[in-house]
Amino acid sequence: MRSRFPARRLTRRAVLAGVTAIASLGAFPASAQESIKLGLVAAMSGQSAKSGEAIVRGLTIAADEINAKGGVLGKKIEIIVRDDESNPAKGAIAARELVQREKVAALFGGLDTPVSLAIVPFANSSKVPFMGVWAAGTPITRNGAPENYVFRVSAVDEIVDEALVAYAIKKYGAKKPGMILINNPWGESNEKGLRKALETRSIPFAGIEKFETNDVDVVPQLTRLKAAGADALFLVANVAPSAQVVKSLDRMGWDVPIVSHWGPAGGRFTELAGPSAAKVHFIQTYTFTGKLSAKGAAVLDALKKKYPEIKSLADVTPAVGIANAYDAMQLTALAIAKAGTLDGPKIRQAFYEIDSYDGLIKSYKKPFTVENHDAIGASDYIFTHFVDGEILPLTQ
Amino acid sequence: MPAAVLALTLAGLAVAVAGQGYTPFLLALVALVTVVGAGLNILVGLTGQISIGHVGFYAIGAYVVGVLTTGTAMTGVVNFWVALVAAAAIAGVVGALLAVPALRVSGPYLAMMTIAFSFIVEHVLIEWRTVTGGQNGLMNIAQPSFGFGIDGERSLAVLAVVLAGAALLFFHRLAEAPLGKAMIAVRDSETAAQAVGANPVVIKTVAFALSAAVTGAAGGVFASLMSFVAPSSFPFTQSILFLLAVIVGGAGFTLGPVIGAIVIVLMPEMIASLAEYRLLIFGVLLLVVLWLAPEGILGTLTRYLPQPARRTPEGSAFDLAGFLGDSARAPLIVRDLTIAFGGVKAATNVALTAEPGRVTALIGPNGAGKTTVLNMISGFYRPDAGSIDLGGRELAALPAWRVARAGIARTYQTTQLFGSLSVLDNVLIGLGRGDTGHPLASPASSPDRTTAEGLLSFVGYRGALDAPSEDLPHVDRRLVEIARALATRPKVVLLDEPAAGLMRADKLALGSVLRKIADAGIAVILVEHDMALVMGTSDHVVVLDAGRPIAAGAPAAVSADPKVKEAYLGSGTMAVRPRAEPLAAGRSLELDAVALEAGYGAVPVLKNVGLEVRQGELVALLGANGAGKSTVMRALSGLLRPVSGTIRLGGECIEELPAHLIAASGLALVPEGRQVFAELSVRDNLMLGAYVRTDSTLQEDLDAMFARFPRLLERADARAGLLSGGEQQMLAIARGLMARPRILLLDEPSLGLAPAIIDELFAVIAGLRDRGVTLLLVDQMAAQALAAADRGYVLESGRVVRADQAAVLREDPALEAAYLGGLETVE
Amino acid sequence: MLVTSALVSGICLGSMYGLIALGFHVTYVVSSTVNFSQGSAVMLGAVLGYVFAVRVGLPLPLAFAAALLACAAFGLLVERVLVRPFASRGSNAWLMATVAGGIVLDNAVLFTFGKEPRSFPPVLSTTPIQIFGTGVYPLQLIIPFVGLGVALGLALFLRRTRYGKSLLAVVQNADAARLMGIDVKAAIAASFAVSTALAGLAGMLIAPLFSVHSDMGTLFGLKAFAVAILGGIGSAAGVMMAGLIYGASEALITALFGSSYTHIAMFAAVIGALALMPHGLLGRAAIKKV
Repeated sequence: MRSRFPARRLTRRAVLAGVTAIASLGAFPASAQESIKLGLVAAMSGQSAKSGEAIVRGLTIAADEINAKGGVLGKKIEIIVRDDESNPAKGAIAARELVQREKVAALFGGLDTPVSLAIVPFANSSKVPFMGVWAAGTPITRNGAPENYVFRVSAVDEIVDEALVAYAIKKYGAKKPGMILINNPWGESNEKGLRKALETRSIPFAGIEKFETNDVDVVPQLTRLKAAGADALFLVANVAPSAQVVKSLDRMGWDVPIVSHWGPAGGRFTELAGPSAAKVHFIQTYTFTGKLSAKGAAVLDALKKKYPEIKSLADVTPAVGIANAYDAMQLTALAIAKAGTLDGPKIRQAFYEIDSYDGLIKSYKKPFTVENHDAIGASDYIFTHFVDGEILPLTQ
Repeated sequence: MPAAVLALTLAGLAVAVAGQGYTPFLLALVALVTVVGAGLNILVGLTGQISIGHVGFYAIGAYVVGVLTTGTAMTGVVNFWVALVAAAAIAGVVGALLAVPALRVSGPYLAMMTIAFSFIVEHVLIEWRTVTGGQNGLMNIAQPSFGFGIDGERSLAVLAVVLAGAALLFFHRLAEAPLGKAMIAVRDSETAAQAVGANPVVIKTVAFALSAAVTGAAGGVFASLMSFVAPSSFPFTQSILFLLAVIVGGAGFTLGPVIGAIVIVLMPEMIASLAEYRLLIFGVLLLVVLWLAPEGILGTLTRYLPQPARRTPEGSAFDLAGFLGDSARAPLIVRDLTIAFGGVKAATNVALTAEPGRVTALIGPNGAGKTTVLNMISGFYRPDAGSIDLGGRELAALPAWRVARAGIARTYQTTQLFGSLSVLDNVLIGLGRGDTGHPLASPASSPDRTTAEGLLSFVGYRGALDAPSEDLPHVDRRLVEIARALATRPKVVLLDEPAAGLMRADKLALGSVLRKIADAGIAVILVEHDMALVMGTSDHVVVLDAGRPIAAGAPAAVSADPKVKEAYLGSGTMAVRPRAEPLAAGRSLELDAVALEAGYGAVPVLKNVGLEVRQGELVALLGANGAGKSTVMRALSGLLRPVSGTIRLGGECIEELPAHLIAASGLALVPEGRQVFAELSVRDNLMLGAYVRTDSTLQEDLDAMFARFPRLLERADARAGLLSGGEQQMLAIARGLMARPRILLLDEPSLGLAPAIIDELFAVIAGLRDRGVTLLLVDQMAAQALAAADRGYVLESGRVVRADQAAVLREDPALEAAYLGGLETVE
Repeated sequence: MLVTSALVSGICLGSMYGLIALGFHVTYVVSSTVNFSQGSAVMLGAVLGYVFAVRVGLPLPLAFAAALLACAAFGLLVERVLVRPFASRGSNAWLMATVAGGIVLDNAVLFTFGKEPRSFPPVLSTTPIQIFGTGVYPLQLIIPFVGLGVALGLALFLRRTRYGKSLLAVVQNADAARLMGIDVKAAIAASFAVSTALAGLAGMLIAPLFSVHSDMGTLFGLKAFAVAILGGIGSAAGVMMAGLIYGASEALITALFGSSYTHIAMFAAVIGALALMPHGLLGRAAIKKV
């Protein structure tokens, strides 16, 4: 009579154990096929999950295009994705696993600068090209290694900050701007860049305020900036926190010019920030709105076909992630083709030898040189703002 | 165990040296989590404190190595090994500092404090940019090289494995050392740990510092392994994973963290290909592991291992006087001891002198302040005024552990053993008298073990030596507690109701032990309600009432004192209270059990028990300690499920019903130990007694209850936990009556009550009987129980061995020898 | 103006923390356990409110009610699956289990609701009104009243009603409570349902001022735990008071000294306050006898 309960518990445990076993079995990587493996280490979960998704989409569309034309070196490209949970340690593990177990020919990086920084020394020492498609921290590509394997198709914070400061002065005649920055590595990196850009022009700043991703109310910080006499604001934050800044400004009734990094570029900025969203002028490398190039139209079509959940332009977001990843994949494939091998040093050399590539963001001419591992330069940025939910370029 | 650790370490080293690809790297991570786990195990497994902030120490260690090896203006570039030692040291110091506020809190409060600590560390790392590099961290942290082609990640894997081996051995040694045992003792009962001379402040601080230092060292290696650290390398969730590594492996087990580390490092790796779904699946898998092994994997596995053979103490000719040595015998002189709690004077000008070699009894009604006096003498309370002089040394206002070291040992009303430690370890801790030595001090020596065994056999303990003390039966707990007190080589021993809950034979044995203790030259102070024991063993008796001494002198003189009779002994007759009119026959069955079997776990306690209670009857259930009386009550009331057999209440089967439905059907149990809701008011306790009722006469019943128990009315709005034992018992009975039950079950109502109160209690019970309440009574005062009862059952080893009219049982000489004899106690 | 605006913001947020913290309080006083996925319940309330109101198209009050019910059901699930299997054996692994449960819920919402933050329909949060020179949404003024009302209601329910007292009896002595006819399992389950419903309510109240996404609850949950502990987790009044103090101090420190040191100062204050008051603001030590 008393044995009834233990027996039932045992059965339940057996079932649970079975589930565990199956889950872990199914998790082992599929056996290797004849393909070129390329790895991605990016934030696929948590608050930055959307960025990881955008990068995967950009890479996938480009890879599909390449594979449809016969692949590279006669092999198909296969993308292997790992989640870094925005944790540098996890990113470092994932990079090793991709290179040493999956034997990927090159790595792509994600949103978070510290994660990329954690991978840089490993990429250089194991001689595997590491292509950044988002993280904009300056030292990622300028890492001081004698043989630098790190390339990037994305913004560089220092250059962006230069552009932001120049824009604020030219457009708004800012004399004493303030900074409202997200309290994360990205915000800190831009604090450095903005300070430097202001210093070279000998312009004082009203204050530097930070806020957290999940802060509901930024009024205390903004009130300090207002009290300090800020005549324009530099904003560095992702979509949702940027929207909180705009809403807080609205509530304070403070109408101040806002010059922003590319954070608000997510398609829902208007929905989140309300009508004042249009006041935010932000920098961009690429948007799918307005009149598209042939390439832009083709990529957009491919996106809609591949991902049925994309119904409108607002779902193509964040556009920069998709566009950067797309061009980065194309450039990497070109380099591999040029190298004619999957040997890391040869691919690195081949990156320098790419003459031109007619890409999504722009037409690249000699995108990489030994001195410059960043394919996107100061002239490639445009300022934009939201009009009726669409990102439109601003004429300077 | 050390061999197992060594083998694991060697296996780890082989993999670290020969492993291909990223295997050494993964191994290093497993080893580092093992190190942290071993460190955290000191807190979780030994002192029982939960830290959800260990990632803070890990980060501190990592940044110390990161900052020092990349160079600072002040120190220049520091050698890796020096930096690693600094990492452990700095983390250890921070740990000790955190321990200072953390000592004051426990449970969720401690958890919050450690969480706050880890967030402070994170934000200091972010803000202290000039040193830490801010959000974007530190790059190019040095990696040591061992030569022989072992460098970079491989050398760190070797280092991590060696460190892990060392950390596990360290934990193992610590857990066996006196300090480790003292940590467990502080966890199990901080009060009792102090009473054997252990200083909880020092012990907990050391535990925190050691735990933090070990974690810091692991962090230092981590920084070097990653060659890059940033604040985001140390997310809050990592703290949870560290804790999980300890719990999943099995808290307190030396090898637990190895298994935990393998689970939390390798499991995510195995499912890395799930990419964005990894965290989701990882969360589910963690839950599955927790469900499968809630006590940790090792904890669950050891339950299936065979238990080692039990050893019992040998020899009985222990020379206590010799063991005590010729340390100066000194009298304890207490003068004018006074204390008040929130304006209520609990003790006023209490004075007593306890001579060496004599038993001094302290008696008085419940709530007279006897335990309060013991608490002041032992340093648990700080007296408002008065002096406590032991051989010329003033002890008043010293902390408990100092008082204990000065030579005062004690036992408690509710035994306070170190439950998870073995019987032998309990006594060994007493032998150490709080002198725990350094963390790696050797475990107790073999002469010490012999002494501890001798002490146990001296007090008459005959049970297993290596059994966890929490599994002991009631009598044995009392004995082990006395042995532990003696182990501290005390000059004075304070015993708080040592005979409560013991049967007569055990009380007799206890009395002779007390005598032997006194004969060895110890001053014994005895608080006890059992007058036979008090009169039989004491040399001197002090009587307290309402916090004041009202009489003192030789036992015979004191018991003849009319003031004492009035305050304490009551009418002193323990009158037999027969029914005024005999109970009419042919009454209907109210409660009956047929072939009742029940037990705890795999051990059956009740075998084929059958009993019945008819409407209006008072039935007594008798038996020795451990015969299964309370188990019967728990089974009848539904607290113990499942049971087999049949239980019927008013003809309805209730053996499958849970307790709350049985209560609703009209059975009320007044449980052993009163079990009032201590934090609720007396009035609320009574109202909850009527929880199952829906009629509108509650207020009238409440008034009636207050009329019957006027003391409860006086304290109607006080928290029930503040009532004296007798008041709590009356409250428990009144609470049971408030349900207007068809039958009331009383489990050991007289336990711990003064003679006058017991007298009063049985008067109440007889009164209920006369008013027609159906009653089933379990009580150690078998004679009194039978005196009031109509019928009785005798239980032996879980079986009913006699069932008869109470009058017949009362006259049975065999029964009298075994259980009765309560009636002659006073006169 | 600096101070008043900070106070208004702080008190609004603080009463939100207080509401969530009351959820910790209510399970703790009944079962001595807390649900560490409370932050996820905040998120669940907001997400479900959004889904019912925007995607299903229910009228707001109906969407609110439906989301609250769903949150309560989530609480029952947490208790049954993440707490009871451990607490009933005296294991404290429920702590880890509820954390893991939170991770699972957050990620499950991430993949079903979507990875993008969405905007909750505005409720009394379109036009700010001016008070002492500070713009305030009417909703911000209402939230503290809701918080205080709920705290008061909860305290009255627990201290004054028969059912409330029976809940308090459970934690003090579960066996004795069963002997009184109290269904202990149901009482504990109910406390978890109330707890997560409170979190869900807080989530829906804050959502119009914020945005809705799968990760929104974590920080709220954590701060609310700090608040619950600070207030004395056994006292509803203490918890609510601590919420207001926490929210106001946070905003004041940011406004007066800048945002760099807000977290360090707040968490250091938590440690300091607990060292001085080991049972929180209004908590009291349990009766302890030896």
